[in-house]
Amino acid sequence: FSQSTSTSMANECLASLGLSGPKIEETMRNKDLTERLVALVRCAKDKLGSKELSKVQGNLIYHTGTKLKKQAFAGHELIVNHIINGDLATEAQVTAACDFCLKQIGSGDLDAFKAACGIGVSITPEDIERAVEEVINKHKQELLAQRYAFGMNKLLGEARSNLKWADGKQVKCEFEVQILHLLGPKTDADRAGNANASSVAKQPAARGKPAAVAAAANGNAEVFREDTRSLADQMISGDAAKFHKPGENYLTDGYVMTPRTRFLLGRHLKQTGGKVFTRFPPEPNGILHIGHAKAINFNFGYARAHNGHCYLRYDDTNPEKEEEKFFVAIRDIVEWLGYTPYKVTYASDNFDQLYEWAESLIMRGKAYVCHQSPDQLKGHNPPPSPWRDRPAEESLQLFRAMRAGMYAEGEACLRMRLTMEDSKQDPVAYRIKYARHHRTGSKWCIYPTYDYTHCLCDSIENITHSLCTKEFQNRRSSYYWLCNALDLYCPVQWEYGRLNVCNTVMSKRKILNLVQKKAVADWDDPRLFTLTALRRRGVPPEAVNLFAAKVGVTMASAYIDPSLLDACTREILNTSAPRTMVVLDPLKVTIVEGLDAVKSAALTVPDYPASPERGSHSIASFSASSGVLYLEREDFRDGGKAGAGAGFKRLTEDQPVGLKHANVAIAVRQVVRDAAGQVSELRVACLPLDSLPAKPKCFVHWVADPVQVEVRLYEQLFTMKNPEEHPDGLIAAMNPNSLSVKPGALADRYLLTAAAIQRHLQFERLGYFYLDQDSSPPGRLIFNRTVTLKEDVGK
Amino acid sequence: MDAEIDQLEHEVEKIYQQLDLSDDPELEKLVDENLKCRYRVQQLKMSIAKERAKPLDRMISVQAALSAHLQAAIRAAYPEAAAAVKVQLTSSAKEEFGDYQCSNAMSLAKAVKLQPRQVAAAIVDKLEAGDLIEKTEIAGPGFINISLRRQPVIEELNRLLVHGVRPPPVDRKRRVIVDYSSPNIAKQMHVGHLRSTIIGDSVARLCRFLGHEVLALNHVGDWGTQFGMLIAHLKDRFPDYATKCPPIGDLQAFYKESKVRFDSDEQFKQRAYAAVVSLQRRDPDSTAAWKLICDASRKDFQRVYGRLGVENLVERGESFYQDLMTEVVDELKSGGHLVPDEGRLIMWPPGCDIPLTVVKSDGGFTYDTSDLAAIRQRLFAESADWLIYVVDIGQGVHFKGIFSAAEKAGWLNPAVARVDHVGFGVVLGEDRKKFKTRSGDTVRLTDLLNEGIERAGAKLAEKGRDKELTPQELKAAQEAVAYGCIKYADLSHNRNNDYVFSFDKMLDDRGNTAVYLLYAYTRISSIARTANLSPDQLLKLAKSPGITELQHPKEWKLAKQLLRFADVVDKLTQDLLLHSLCDFLYETACVFTEFYDACYCIEKNRDSGEVIRVNHWRILLCDATAKIMKAGLDILGIRTVDRM
Repeated sequence: FSQSTSTSMANECLASLGLSGPKIEETMRNKDLTERLVALVRCAKDKLGSKELSKVQGNLIYHTGTKLKKQAFAGHELIVNHIINGDLATEAQVTAACDFCLKQIGSGDLDAFKAACGIGVSITPEDIERAVEEVINKHKQELLAQRYAFGMNKLLGEARSNLKWADGKQVKCEFEVQILHLLGPKTDADRAGNANASSVAKQPAARGKPAAVAAAANGNAEVFREDTRSLADQMISGDAAKFHKPGENYLTDGYVMTPRTRFLLGRHLKQTGGKVFTRFPPEPNGILHIGHAKAINFNFGYARAHNGHCYLRYDDTNPEKEEEKFFVAIRDIVEWLGYTPYKVTYASDNFDQLYEWAESLIMRGKAYVCHQSPDQLKGHNPPPSPWRDRPAEESLQLFRAMRAGMYAEGEACLRMRLTMEDSKQDPVAYRIKYARHHRTGSKWCIYPTYDYTHCLCDSIENITHSLCTKEFQNRRSSYYWLCNALDLYCPVQWEYGRLNVCNTVMSKRKILNLVQKKAVADWDDPRLFTLTALRRRGVPPEAVNLFAAKVGVTMASAYIDPSLLDACTREILNTSAPRTMVVLDPLKVTIVEGLDAVKSAALTVPDYPASPERGSHSIASFSASSGVLYLEREDFRDGGKAGAGAGFKRLTEDQPVGLKHANVAIAVRQVVRDAAGQVSELRVACLPLDSLPAKPKCFVHWVADPVQVEVRLYEQLFTMKNPEEHPDGLIAAMNPNSLSVKPGALADRYLLTAAAIQRHLQFERLGYFYLDQDSSPPGRLIFNRTVTLKEDVGK
Repeated sequence: MDAEIDQLEHEVEKIYQQLDLSDDPELEKLVDENLKCRYRVQQLKMSIAKERAKPLDRMISVQAALSAHLQAAIRAAYPEAAAAVKVQLTSSAKEEFGDYQCSNAMSLAKAVKLQPRQVAAAIVDKLEAGDLIEKTEIAGPGFINISLRRQPVIEELNRLLVHGVRPPPVDRKRRVIVDYSSPNIAKQMHVGHLRSTIIGDSVARLCRFLGHEVLALNHVGDWGTQFGMLIAHLKDRFPDYATKCPPIGDLQAFYKESKVRFDSDEQFKQRAYAAVVSLQRRDPDSTAAWKLICDASRKDFQRVYGRLGVENLVERGESFYQDLMTEVVDELKSGGHLVPDEGRLIMWPPGCDIPLTVVKSDGGFTYDTSDLAAIRQRLFAESADWLIYVVDIGQGVHFKGIFSAAEKAGWLNPAVARVDHVGFGVVLGEDRKKFKTRSGDTVRLTDLLNEGIERAGAKLAEKGRDKELTPQELKAAQEAVAYGCIKYADLSHNRNNDYVFSFDKMLDDRGNTAVYLLYAYTRISSIARTANLSPDQLLKLAKSPGITELQHPKEWKLAKQLLRFADVVDKLTQDLLLHSLCDFLYETACVFTEFYDACYCIEKNRDSGEVIRVNHWRILLCDATAKIMKAGLDILGIRTVDRM
């Protein structure tokens, strides 16, 4: 009954604004808007007495309803007053009035209000004519030269800004008349020229970004070079551009104002000096993954781009799941990505303060001790707590009893008295856990929850922008509620989309499962997409940041193919990983004639053939090893050209092949086979290149006098885009070829010393490799394949 | 047999070895549970230790503990009626009525329509004896007489002796702001300021004693139009004031001079107005002049505060709030709290008949505005959760309005912060008219204090003390008596009433006066000295064996009286009526006298004066009395002396 009356009343209010039936229906679907409009109409009726709203006034009031933000709604009376008395006569003025009420919170300055909304400004058609004429005259020469190719909209905008309170239509009309008068009607040439001009204008902008990305690839010493600019750009002009300025929290949609807000924001600004403060708040119960690269870059990047600070805060409120190794690993990774936290803090540093606030919350009647069992609280529609309305004193006593250890786990918890977005009621603030905390020791047996802790720690650290992923959108109201319930500074929560990568799993639980089932070696198995795994695989931090930049530090969620990360990795390593020759699957080759073609015992090989000035290294030549060298087994095919196939350009019995860097080719003289008929050795002739009738079709890599190394080749752990969808579970979805080990690979001896210094290497023709942490140079070297040289190899 | 045992042991061993429990989930669960249980035991032990340590920080309030027991019993006996019941519990007037008497049965009987004695019996039936209650008895129409057990009283007294006087428990530690004294710059302090200063200082001491964090603020009148006149006069009289410190020691005369010129000289008046404007603009010249005047006044005030022993009083005058007022007005406007009224902007606080004038018709601000700015600043910036204003009772309506307005504006949340206006009546002369000098001027505080010193000196001389005490002791006694009696006379009356200022009465050494209490205190403290016990020896005695018995009825009466201290302080916390503490101290002195007259502490040989026997537990009881009295006098801001 009450609902139908309120509906009919709302209906009546909306009708009094002159809205049509369908429009009313449409409006009513928006509950917030309807509520605001009803309040506005009521306010207007109080002022009008027996009079009715005019159509214009109705329009303007509707406009107020749509423009006036919730947190500025206290200003509605002022606006309605001025609509009724006719001071505010256009939508532009009402928009300005709404804006004024939002920005000048609490300012009762009527003159400023009037000036901001153009009250008392009257504009005649002559004023419009004069102002438009002025603008056109100012640009007359360019106009005559460029005619309609000139940016008319910009010009019109200029005229409008000079005539802020004039009717927009009138200005446009006058403008068009005057242009027509000056230039005459558009010709065909005008139309064609216009199209050209616009296509030219777009190109430089399109080129800008790749240039920056390419520049990024040149840096190798620092994690941030040119690519930070692209990140920084995104922080200033991308999605982050709509973030509020420090201290202007109230301008954000959904921000909740209290009588203390203004004071608290003032104090906040004094304490921060107006700087941006962000935080990266991981839970120390797992290893960071590639998705965190976005969070790290967003939080640290936003602070850096605005000359602010970013905290690294461990959200260590769950004592059972935390392990020391995760704390170390997280910090390590943040620094690896090139960021330095402003301070490293722990949520547990604030346990005393949080407890004190919990008591205060109870005292304020905003939290209570509940005895529903955890099972009862689970699920979508838990029954309301029968303890919701118990007296504050009682809750306080029971809360202290909780702290003293008088209840078993699950027998009591502290809940906040509020309903959240998803109509979830009364989130838990504290629960009992009989577990030691690695930082606070045995001081506590009650621990605060995320919902309770997170916003309060943000408040304590004076965070300006609390950036989190979209899953937390429905916690936003409880975030604001709690800060306000305790009269504390309330930061603004901004949500961004998660970064997900296909063909892998990232959740801690699932990775843990893989580790426990020994499907992967550990959290840092190079096939995983944890950041420690990527680092171990040899993905440089620059590539991770470049990847984050390319994916975009945006509000949108994304599913990204891992090949994008590979591309970023190649881009960075191409110019930062020196080349060397390694043979994975060696085939012995002995030079039986022409060994004197190569005289020196060592050859000088440039680290970067494209830029020899960047240095070189020396490798053993086969003249020192009595003509013994090793080729990649697959670079020789049995059966002559015919048997190898037409496309095969490398070594066959009747086709010589060039040896890289040696300036010679080899031609097979004899194929030696073992008992099983397998090729075990080639006896070849060494031919100077200039002695050949034609240059060899291909040059292959080789090694002489080598050392044995182990090489681990990785492929995608999962070939399915979304392995979690595999009907037989994750393990079944695994790619059986994700790891192949080459224990007998042969490398140039110089790697024994070089690899320890330069861990990133390009094995010629094979890919980019990275010295694994299991190596014990100089005796034992192990290399991980970071990425192949080209994307299609291996597919 | 032995072989059999050996074999069995061997077999058991074997079974254990075969039992591989490493992967048993059941075992894992149990191990986990065991760990949790151990952790919980550790937590509970810590909590018990914490609970045990509590009485060392806080005194037990017997009244509060008994009230809680009774409340629970009433709730258990009459759950439906219990919500409206407030426990009525007094200490019994006569020994035969036990130690405490509860009279709830009579009123409750009406509500539940039963005989009062029946109701009393039902309550007693549900009453848990706990540690405190020895026995209960139903007497007369339905009184419940409660007798206390001796042991907890003895234990509490021993804690008092070892750990000193501790405050009773409080609900939580608060940040308290006490606003008191508040004289006007360039004017003399008078007796009106005296009351605010004495009461405010005592309230602040009380709050500190309770363990709160206290900020005492002196809201001096250092702003307003009168400064224009003073600055203009200063500039005329001492043109070189900026470089040479002007001799304006007698500010009152200076004030009068400028006032005469202001009233008679139109030109001067104009310049005075101009000076106000330039001061408000924070023009450096005028500001410097203003500071000079304030400093001169401050020196005067400080002398008075020094004599009265007022410490930790932070000056924060009206000028401090000037810049905050615009913001406050803006906020009230945007909150829709202000209504125009004949050119003014006023605010109607809920429940008040008189509005606050927030903006005057000329755009200026009022006391209402600055008090609103102050309360907001104290709640917000200072994060205070208890505000106490010690201002005369005439301002009651004003403060009611300010508190109500602050609540309406959303600044003050009564669930979080407590506000009190501690009002007081005017000081009357012995003719019961407003206290004036013979010539009809207001009495200057300095003159009053001087007279107090003189009279106290005369009183001591009259008693021949000047011959017994060293000059230093005499001076200390003279000051303690003079300032003590002025304070005590003020504090020992219900502050809400006017009080008659009479040196003759306050210097009387009989009855409820400071002089009597100071004498009593020195006498009590001297008893241990007479028994040749040093403070260290006393402490040693208190630790072991301590007070062991309270057999004599007068011992028991004194012991109970001493423990009432916690009850009295607890009540003070509620009503801030300090005279109840004075009454308690006076009673304590009287009860002590009864005890001392009846119980020998030191038995001497009548003829030789030689000490025959020292009753140590009684000496300790004397020491406990001295400690309680000292603590009470400390709260009142009255200095004690060892000899007088």
